[in-house]
Amino acid sequence: MNSTLCLAVTAAALIATSAHAEPGAWSDEPVRIVVTFPPGGTSDLVARLLAQYLESEFGQRAVVDNRPGAGGTVAADYVAQQPADGTTLILGNNAPFTIAPTQFDTLPYDPVESFTHIANLGASTPGLFVQPSLGITDLDGFIAAANGDGITYGSSGVGSITHILGNAVDSALGITTIHVPYQGSAPAIQDFRAGVLDAFYDSMAQNAAMIEDDEVVALAIASPERSVRFPDIPTFREQGYDVVIENWTGLSGPAGMDADMVATIHETVEYIMALPPVIEQMDTWGISHTEMSTEDFNAFVANTIEVWRPLIIAANVNGG
Amino acid sequence: MKNLTHDTAPDAAKRREDETQSSVEPRGDEARSVPVLVAILGGVGLLALSLVFVIGGVELGVGTPRRLGTGAFPVLSGLTLAIICVGIILGDLRNGHLDEVPDWISFFAIGAALAIFAFVAERFGLVPAVFLATITASLPDRTLPWIGKAALGAGVSLASWGLFIGVLDLPFRAYMGF
Amino acid sequence: MEILSNFGDGLLVAMQPQNLLYCFVGVFLGTFIGVLPGIGSMAAISMILPLTFYLEPTTALVMIAGVYYGAEYGGSIASILMNIPGTPSSSITCIDGYPMAREGRAGIALFASAIASFGGGMIGMVVMAVLAPALAALALNFGPTEYFAVILLGLVAASAVSNGSPLKGVAMVVAGLMLGTVGVDLTTGTERFTLGIPELRDGVSLVIVAMGLFGVGELIVSIKANRHGAQQTKLDYKKFYPSWAEWRAMVKPILRGGGIGSIVGALPGTGQTVASAIAYAVEKRLSPNKSNFGKGAIEGVAVPESANNSATQTAFVPTLTLGVPGSASMALVIGALMIHGITPGPRLLVEHADLFWGLVASFLLGNIMLLILNIPMIGLWVRLLQIPYRFMYPTIIVLICIGVYSVNNNVFDIWLTLLFGWAGYLMRLYRFEPAPLLLGFVLGPMMEEQLRRAMLLSRGDPTVFLTRPISAALIAVTVLLLIYAFASALSARKRARAAMTVPS
Repeated sequence: MNSTLCLAVTAAALIATSAHAEPGAWSDEPVRIVVTFPPGGTSDLVARLLAQYLESEFGQRAVVDNRPGAGGTVAADYVAQQPADGTTLILGNNAPFTIAPTQFDTLPYDPVESFTHIANLGASTPGLFVQPSLGITDLDGFIAAANGDGITYGSSGVGSITHILGNAVDSALGITTIHVPYQGSAPAIQDFRAGVLDAFYDSMAQNAAMIEDDEVVALAIASPERSVRFPDIPTFREQGYDVVIENWTGLSGPAGMDADMVATIHETVEYIMALPPVIEQMDTWGISHTEMSTEDFNAFVANTIEVWRPLIIAANVNGG
Repeated sequence: MKNLTHDTAPDAAKRREDETQSSVEPRGDEARSVPVLVAILGGVGLLALSLVFVIGGVELGVGTPRRLGTGAFPVLSGLTLAIICVGIILGDLRNGHLDEVPDWISFFAIGAALAIFAFVAERFGLVPAVFLATITASLPDRTLPWIGKAALGAGVSLASWGLFIGVLDLPFRAYMGF
Repeated sequence: MEILSNFGDGLLVAMQPQNLLYCFVGVFLGTFIGVLPGIGSMAAISMILPLTFYLEPTTALVMIAGVYYGAEYGGSIASILMNIPGTPSSSITCIDGYPMAREGRAGIALFASAIASFGGGMIGMVVMAVLAPALAALALNFGPTEYFAVILLGLVAASAVSNGSPLKGVAMVVAGLMLGTVGVDLTTGTERFTLGIPELRDGVSLVIVAMGLFGVGELIVSIKANRHGAQQTKLDYKKFYPSWAEWRAMVKPILRGGGIGSIVGALPGTGQTVASAIAYAVEKRLSPNKSNFGKGAIEGVAVPESANNSATQTAFVPTLTLGVPGSASMALVIGALMIHGITPGPRLLVEHADLFWGLVASFLLGNIMLLILNIPMIGLWVRLLQIPYRFMYPTIIVLICIGVYSVNNNVFDIWLTLLFGWAGYLMRLYRFEPAPLLLGFVLGPMMEEQLRRAMLLSRGDPTVFLTRPISAALIAVTVLLLIYAFASALSARKRARAAMTVPS
């Protein structure tokens, strides 16, 4: 009795410290990577890229399962209810795990307790873009314009990360702007090009071509430090306004997954994220990878909810 | 639910009764004149639905012209529909008829087939769901014997397994919990 | 001249063996998947998307485009044979295609649809080749006010699609608008009429409405009709291929449909649906055979198919040059390009000219392939109708279930299909037509979104709709159309009254 307990404790200690699990296949069954968006978006593409390398590098079959709806909560709820055997994972992001817990009064799942958050894949950074014709070059000019004729800005939708960012910028700068929600950033950019919008918030990398062509003026980037890719574009922070919002994405499974398996998945994902063609692909999508241990990633998810809570409440996006 | 099981039950006496009944009914697309109250039910139902949207929309708030409220569009479309419905009801009062004799057996059998598919697919997988739904859907047909219905169910469920999971690789589970 | 040389270069690209092969794979796969109810181009494209990782970008695009218009064509086969529209635009094909099939003229309807799709595709291709920059500029000039105006025009056309009581047609359009408001309000994030059901937060899925109202509703009707043996389709080989008169009757609808489709198709999102609806409504006014519309008129099959397919081709213009996907399938096209590091945008026409012109040329080859592939298949499809209905209808019901289930992998959608199926049957009893409802349902949310956006941007000034030239012109056309419709309805009533009073 005593020895079994002792063995169990040792085993647990071993697992806790086993940062050296080998990358490899972890299930004989095909793994379903649930995506919270319909096919075609960056999130979907990341999942498909991951699935492709899981199969080609490790022979781990993986299929992408798109379950869009209700800000990603449909997908998260589904995954939370699946068996924790490593055959169902979710490509998570801020929508179901960071924003939904504050946006909705009731959620069918607990963003922390119902999941095993396995590995962080990376984050992309949004920025603020304005019409060149407005002649604005910095945030002070933006404030002046907002207080003058007023500013209309486009976001990817109510409760989206760009809406919350827009609202956070408004309160940091002490201005009021007119928020015009769209369904995704593409139609917002089209209206921007048609000249009906003064400004919009969107991922920096997705707008690299427009920045180069001087079709937009990028006023500020919402990362803590300047981006390597856009060294000329200042952060909000260095212009004196403490706004930092990043759009994270990671891999999670249902709660109660086997620790060894979690370690294997973590190592496998880290291995794939370090492959040069994957790094290059992630760069073009504007996703920069930061390695986080499984414990750190779980803490990160829990912490992000609290950090964002006041911003989400301020944006008044309660969905009931 | 009671009605549903009654209609789909393999009750021979009931079946004979239906057959004699259907043989005296007008066939095909022939119009059937019905009591006025039944004839206007379509318009009345739609009117009721439109009023639900109007009331719900008012509760949501119609907002101002600049910032149209959440309820503005439902109220606008609901009101328009309500007015049109009054016109439709007036028309049906004069010239109301059903396009054909309602076939409630098929109505409930097809409903049951969908319900069974929904219920079984989630718990036991695609193959049993297709098998049971096919048999349920074929119940209103009296020319096919039970063995034929079972064979059809087996054939369709195997074929859909091969096509949708085998060839098309859709993320369904063929069967589970067995 | 420059266009011709560009097109020649494109043809060389498209004729490369691997492009030809994958174009064929695309149209083949698309057609077969499109025939399955509920499983459209979206499922087909996401299925082949991983394959495109390994292909040249042009090859990938050519294949995806092939799947896309192949599936559109396949969807019209399901519309004609089973009255199950795969896309909102093919719901218009149902209006005349399904009656033709029930008269035993399924072969002719399929033939008409194949020829009209080809004709429309060619018109779309020429328009795209000649006018791509102009179309891109047009789409770029479309702000919220212009979209609102064009959707309004589309809705007026949608009410005219109805062949029964005009009042019931309008009622169905408005009911569609109303149903479209179910779900989270895009502008405020508030839930509307969701009854607390999370699956309804994103509204009712279009596939469910189409499968329920058309597919399930019609199925319930046809069980009894076939039980009496009256409606069993007769196979008449003389009615397999269109007669000379039918060929001639198709020419003008194809040209008009293709013209309308190729211009309207360039507007992201609204394109195909509005194009088919406007084209059908216009044809119904102009056609010498207008009294037969809705009862199996070959023009009624040719015109939406032509409009739809030309719009399908020009829909690539905003996708490629503006990066604005009009549909989920088009979003996948952008995704496939992004994998290869190609960002859609105004520079694509210049920087990736081979890709653009290769795609345009592949439309020619792909549409020819589609024709070669499908004309011989018509006999097979028609024979499918010879399978006794007692085997067919349980199979169709299961196909509908699987199709609906495959969209979100959620059985809630099947419960909802059950409700819409029952509603569809009741609507049929009371002579309400589902097509205008479906059009209203598709266009309603867009209309509301653009209206509220336009009002936000104009700071609450409704005159913007009349001060911006494009929207003012569109609204003028809509008003003229309404006046014309009312005037002709009035004069028809007057004539009817005169006819009634003369004998007495």
